[in-house]
Amino acid sequence: MLNKLRTSGVLLIFGLVIEALSLCWNTALSFMSFVVIGGLFFASGILLFLYSLVSGGREVREN
Amino acid sequence: MSFNERYPMISPETLVFVLVGASIVLILVVVIRPSITASREGKIIAFLALFILPVVTAGVGASEHMERSEQTQFCLSCHIMEPYGKSLYVDDPAHIPAAHFQNHRIPADQACYTCHTDYAMFGTIQAKWEGLHHVYVYWFGTPMNPIRLYHPYNNRECLHCHAGARSFESATHMAMMDDLKSNTLSCTTSGCHDTIHNVEKLGEAKFWKPLE
Repeated sequence: MLNKLRTSGVLLIFGLVIEALSLCWNTALSFMSFVVIGGLFFASGILLFLYSLVSGGREVREN
Repeated sequence: MSFNERYPMISPETLVFVLVGASIVLILVVVIRPSITASREGKIIAFLALFILPVVTAGVGASEHMERSEQTQFCLSCHIMEPYGKSLYVDDPAHIPAAHFQNHRIPADQACYTCHTDYAMFGTIQAKWEGLHHVYVYWFGTPMNPIRLYHPYNNRECLHCHAGARSFESATHMAMMDDLKSNTLSCTTSGCHDTIHNVEKLGEAKFWKPLE
């Protein structure tokens, strides 16, 4: 679970950095990088975090 | 000292940067010491850092990007739109987009969006949706060449500003108002105001240079 939290955190940091960088320009390319690349990192980070909560609870019950 | 001077409004862009900074700091705490999640407080911090703050930050960022997508600079950032941007500087009062842009009849920083959004219910949403489609086609598909409107230009977009304006209340306009409102007579293709972007004739045009 801790590794999943770490990975999720790193993915989210990448997503946040891409979001901040994309706001430095006002072009279609920066918008696309926010939506596609940033969105991918955000979605995977958040989904991994939520999965770690679910799987963490299951691991505790199994132990 | 006024209220706004004493408490200056934080811009959405600044808010995003503050949220990004705060999120990264909290995430780093969880990444460096994930064992804090053993305690109840640590779980709350992890939930804030890895879910609530990123969702809020992404939402505010998306909203800011949508706002920015209304700007002329954004539309003209695509190579295919360059001649249309150039046509706004044609030195000819009969050139409808140029006359509107140069005389600030429309906001110069939202020139494309002001004329090419539908002034109907959900018009803004439709404009954003079509904008997303344009960006998608530009990057992942083949844009039509020459580009053209999906539908004939609706008089509603002109009348949104001009109807009721003193300069518009001429006998000619009033006589044809019903036809204009019902779109049976087009403002732009009926021969009255038909000089629109004319990008194919830009080579012959003279251009206006704004003073610095």
